[in-house]
Amino acid sequence: MSYYDVDAILTDGEKVPCRFELDVPYLGHLDNSSGLKAGTRLNLPLWLAEMFALASAGQDASPPITLSLPPCLSEQVLAALKADPRAVPLRDQSAYFYGVAVRMLDLFDEKELSAILRNTFVVRAADVGLHARKAEETGLGGQGEEFLRGLDEWERRLFRRGHEGVKGAKEWTDNVKKS
Amino acid sequence: MYGDLGIKLVQHAKRTQNLAHLPPYQTELVRAVTREVRDLNKDVDDLLEPFQGSFDPSEDQAIAYTLLVNHISMRRNKRCLLAYHRTRTDKLEELVWNGVDVVDLSGQQVRDAGASRGSTGVASGDGSTSSLSPQEEDYVRQYGDLLAAYKGQWTDIDLTGSLEPPRDLFIDVRVLKDAGEIQTEYGAITLTKNSQFYVRQGDVERLIAQGYLQKLS
Repeated sequence: MSYYDVDAILTDGEKVPCRFELDVPYLGHLDNSSGLKAGTRLNLPLWLAEMFALASAGQDASPPITLSLPPCLSEQVLAALKADPRAVPLRDQSAYFYGVAVRMLDLFDEKELSAILRNTFVVRAADVGLHARKAEETGLGGQGEEFLRGLDEWERRLFRRGHEGVKGAKEWTDNVKKS
Repeated sequence: MYGDLGIKLVQHAKRTQNLAHLPPYQTELVRAVTREVRDLNKDVDDLLEPFQGSFDPSEDQAIAYTLLVNHISMRRNKRCLLAYHRTRTDKLEELVWNGVDVVDLSGQQVRDAGASRGSTGVASGDGSTSSLSPQEEDYVRQYGDLLAAYKGQWTDIDLTGSLEPPRDLFIDVRVLKDAGEIQTEYGAITLTKNSQFYVRQGDVERLIAQGYLQKLS
């Protein structure tokens, strides 16, 4: 992940739910009030929430906020992914679904979550590859189109690579035949 | 919310990556983000003023965390600004290597954008005559000079030439824009619009890349 990576920056812009553990009177602008009270629930972008959750002033002070998993990684979504990874349009959850998930796994120790995500990616990647290969012949249509619309950014990149690969190989074989 | 403008800028950058041309420079947005950074910095100064340099974070946590938020927001904005400009300069470098006349190209785009803007009502930039900022134009010019100096070391190899080996020595070309008179081994030819020539490919490769000529197959 590069400092200048546009996708990484946009992933960092995704919001996660947080809960403040102490009063901060000067940060009222975060939720349009006159001052933040302890216990306020707030959606903060990842770049802010991460630093905040890890920060603590003084030796034995606890972090000022508690993070929880964003809605795109909620119980319902995970249950649906466990049932059939291909049936869930990940893009509706978050355009940077895997990116956010990876960042969250850095902060949370969730064995089960990572297992589900790994399985999801593997199962869906096979389908993405299949569609990338067939997109040329059949054109987009029917169920395939719906699946492709639900791809998150990682999977889109995968699709594009696969598609370019197939196209490049085809061009090459055509050239060889010609000459 | 701090950082929202930065996100907008990065979304522009993301769109730019997938475009063949360079969209107009977001002067207003860049100015707004830098203004936000300046405001944040002023807030930090105001907060720290009463302490006269002897601030202890563990004593006043609320202020410590406010400073943290402001600091991270400034860093975030900086990253957004840098990423936006880097995406654009990458694109510009690519255009220079491809031999596109960038200044000429940007003028053309603005005309195109002006035509489409009338129908869609999208306001972009501040209506200047180029889709590049003055700094970017400067950058392109100096980068072009650098590239020319670099190429000058190997005069017998055209570093920005096509990697495809030519199939024929001579090709048919049609003139899309008046390009004046050029000198070839076989004498001078005057390229006037809409005329057609049978010329040596090596003589006109540059002009094809710059969009003056069109190759006929």
